[in-house]
Amino acid sequence: MCAMVYARDMEVVQQLKPEPMTPRETAAQDKIDDVDYDIFVHKMNMVAQEGKETTMKLGASSGMRWGDVAFGIYTAQGDLAVVATGIWFHAVLGQLPVKYIVKHYVNDSSVGVKEGDSFFFNDPFYGGVHPADMGLCVPVFHEGELICFVGAVVHSGENGGTDPGGVCPRARSKYDEGFIAPPIKVGENYTLREDILNMFAAMNRDARTMILDVKARLAACRIAQRRILEFVNQKGSDLVVGGLRRILAVTADAARNKVSQLNDGVFRQPRFMDTVGMGEGLLKINLTLVKKGDTIKLVFHDTTPMLPDKPLNSFFQGIIGMAMVYFCGWFLHDLPANNALLAPIEWDFPEDCLLNAKGEAPTSMAPFPQTLFANAMFMAGARMTYHMDPSRAQASWYQGFGVPLFGGMNQWGEPIADITPEINATGAGARSDQDGVSGAGAFFATMSDCSDVETTEADRPFMYLFRNYFKNSYGHGKYRGGAGVGFGMKMHHVPGVALGCFGFGSRFPATLGIFGGYAVPPVFLSTVRQSNMGNLLSSSDAGLPSNLDQVYGEGNPEQGQREFHHITHPIQLFMYGDTFYVPVGGGAGYGDVLERDPQAALDDLAEGLVSDWVVTNVYKVVYDPGTLRLDEAATKELRAKALAERLRQAKPFEEFEEGWSKLKPSDDVLHSYVTYPHPSVGIKQGPLMPSL
Amino acid sequence: MKVRITEYLEIDLGSEMWCCQRCGRDLVAAQENYKKGCLVAEKDMAEVHPPLVTGQAYSFTPDPNYCRLLEFYCPGCGVMIENEYLPPGHPITHDIELDIDALKQRHGG
Repeated sequence: MCAMVYARDMEVVQQLKPEPMTPRETAAQDKIDDVDYDIFVHKMNMVAQEGKETTMKLGASSGMRWGDVAFGIYTAQGDLAVVATGIWFHAVLGQLPVKYIVKHYVNDSSVGVKEGDSFFFNDPFYGGVHPADMGLCVPVFHEGELICFVGAVVHSGENGGTDPGGVCPRARSKYDEGFIAPPIKVGENYTLREDILNMFAAMNRDARTMILDVKARLAACRIAQRRILEFVNQKGSDLVVGGLRRILAVTADAARNKVSQLNDGVFRQPRFMDTVGMGEGLLKINLTLVKKGDTIKLVFHDTTPMLPDKPLNSFFQGIIGMAMVYFCGWFLHDLPANNALLAPIEWDFPEDCLLNAKGEAPTSMAPFPQTLFANAMFMAGARMTYHMDPSRAQASWYQGFGVPLFGGMNQWGEPIADITPEINATGAGARSDQDGVSGAGAFFATMSDCSDVETTEADRPFMYLFRNYFKNSYGHGKYRGGAGVGFGMKMHHVPGVALGCFGFGSRFPATLGIFGGYAVPPVFLSTVRQSNMGNLLSSSDAGLPSNLDQVYGEGNPEQGQREFHHITHPIQLFMYGDTFYVPVGGGAGYGDVLERDPQAALDDLAEGLVSDWVVTNVYKVVYDPGTLRLDEAATKELRAKALAERLRQAKPFEEFEEGWSKLKPSDDVLHSYVTYPHPSVGIKQGPLMPSL
Repeated sequence: MKVRITEYLEIDLGSEMWCCQRCGRDLVAAQENYKKGCLVAEKDMAEVHPPLVTGQAYSFTPDPNYCRLLEFYCPGCGVMIENEYLPPGHPITHDIELDIDALKQRHGG
C-alpha cells in the first residue's frame, strides 16, 4: 500500500533544526578521537569546497558559473552538517528536500534510496526560495549502510514559467511559475535517466543549460562521494556518522552561548516595499526580535497579508533561510555554517501573512520580501549586537536587486533564458570603522562574482556599452556604503531579445542605513528604443556616455525613444540596436554624515564616486573646486552651523508626532497594504482566498 | 556606570537614563523610546538624495507619497543619533527596548 500523501508535507518543513541524535550516532561518539575529529572536520570542509568549485566549473547557468552555489554534506537524517557556500540561506534550506527523501523514499518500495541513486528538486516549498533554485543530492552508502548524503543547490534560473529567466513578475498562481518538482529520483545505478532529463528539457526554454547544470551537480556529488568513502576506508564509518552529528552538536552549543551574551530586549524594524508584482504599491514587513536568555525569537505580526495572485509571497521557511544569511555571515560568522545555528532561533509567523505563503499563491519573486526582511534583520541586528562587537554591526549591503532577465536566441542560434550576473555586483554596507566595499557582490551570495563582460557577451546577445561604479550610488554617512555598479547594454547580434528587469526600491529606498547613516537612493530602469547608439559607436563619437551619470546628464548624444521605468519592468521585445541602462545599488551608510572625515569625502569626489553637490550640501565640506584642497577651518565652521541649524529647526518628539500622525499616503498606493498603518487590523480570519 | 548600546547611545545604569554618547546629555528614561528624548525633524529628501533626472516619473529621489525621512538629533550637541525612512504618518518605531533589570544584573547590579 502506498504511504505517500500527494500534498505538501507540512511536517518536513518544520524540521529546520537538527534531528535528535540517533542511537547509531550516539554509539559512535565514544569511538571518536579528538585529533581525528579535527582532521575530519577539515577534510569534510575541503570535500565540500571541492564540490562547490567543481559545480561552478562544469555548470552553464549564470548562477552556477558565478558562484550561486551551496555544496553540502548531510547526515543520514538529512541535517546539513558541512557546507561550502557564500549563499547562506541554503545552509538551512538545502536540508528540507533531503529530509523529505529520508521520510518518504527510504522505505518506499517504488522509489527507495540505494547506492548510485540521484535525486533532483526545485519545489520552493522545500527549497524555500523560488523554483529557479534547483538541487541534486545523492546518498552515500558504506557496506550497505546509508552514512550521509551529499548535494548541490544552485540558482539555475530558467524553469519554464510565464516569463523567461526563472522569475515571473506576471505569475498569478504557482501554475504560472513553470515546472516545480518535489524531490524526484532522476538516476539509478550511477546513471541519469534520459527520460527524466528529456522531460526537464521539454519544460524549459533553455534545455542545454538545464541539463548541463543537472550533470554538473551530479559530477560534483560523485567526486565528494568518492572522497568521503576514501576517508571512511581509512578511518571507519563511525567517524563520519558520529563526526557529522558532533559538528551539529558543537555548533548548537556555541550558537546558544553566543546568543546568551547579548543584552535581553526587544528590537523592532518595520520595512516597506514599493513593488507589487508588475505594479506599484506599498507593502509592509514588520520584524520584531525578542532576545531573552539564549534564544532570539523572530516575530512578524502586523505584516501585509498574503497576496493570493501576486508572486511577492514567501514561504516562511524562506524567511528563516534568509535569517541565516545574517547569522552565518555576520553575527555567528565565527561558527560553522549549518542548520544547528538555528538551535537558539525561534519564530512566529501569522497565518495570513506575505511571509507565510499557502495554497496556490505564487512565490517566484519571493526573494523580494526575503531581502527586504534581511534589511530589517541587519538593522535590528546591528542594534542588538553593537554592544558586544561594533565591528559586526554593519549597515546593509544593497537589497533591492536590479537584474535584467531575458529569453530568446543567442548569436550562436541557441535558445537562452537567464539573468545577467550583475546581481553579484552590489555595494557592501558601511561599518563602524570603515566604508563599505564597492562592487562587493551580493549580500546573500558573498562568494559570488559578476563575471567579466567579455565572457557574458560571448554567448549573450548583448554588447556592454560600459559597466562601472556610478555616482551617488550609495548611502551617505560617517562611513559610506560601497559604490554600486551601473551598466548599459545594446541589443546586439540578433534581431531581438525578450528582455525585462526585476527589483524594488524605485520609490521607497530598498536599503536603509544604520545609526543615522542614509539609505541607498532609489534606482530605476531607462531604455532607448530605435537608438542611434550603433551610429555613434561607428563614428567613435567623443560624447558617448561611459557611465550612468553621463547617460542621465545633459549633452548625451544618444537619440531615440527614451523611457524611464520602475526597476521591475515586464518582459518586452527589444530590437537590435535598442539600449538598456540598469543601476545596481551600493551599500547603506553608517553614522552621521557630519562626522565623516572631510578628506575622505574629497577622495570620493576625486574618484568620481560622489558629486560635488553632495560633498558641499550633504557632507558640508568646503574645498577648492579646482584643486580639491580641503579648507579645514571653513569646513569646521560650516558643520557647526549645520548642527546649530538642526537644533533650531527640529521639534520635541511629542510636538513633532502630533503633526506627523495626521499624514497618510494616498489611497492609490495602499491597494495591497490592507489597513494603514497597521495591516493586521484589517486582516480577516477565515478560509484562504483562492488564486486566480 | 554607563554602558554603550549603539554608535551614539549609552545607558546610565545608575540613573537609568538614555544618554548621548557624544556629549553625555541625558535624553529620557531608559525604559522609554530613546527617540522621545531627541529633537525630531522631517528632512527634505532632495537634500539627501538629489535627483539625477528632472521631469520624469523616477529621479533617484524617493517618492514623498511613499516615503519620508525623519531625523533624530541629540538636543545637546545636535548629532544625528538615528534616522527613519517611513511612509507619511506611519508610527515612529520604538526600535530598542532593553530589559533594564537584566542589563543592570549583567553589569554587576
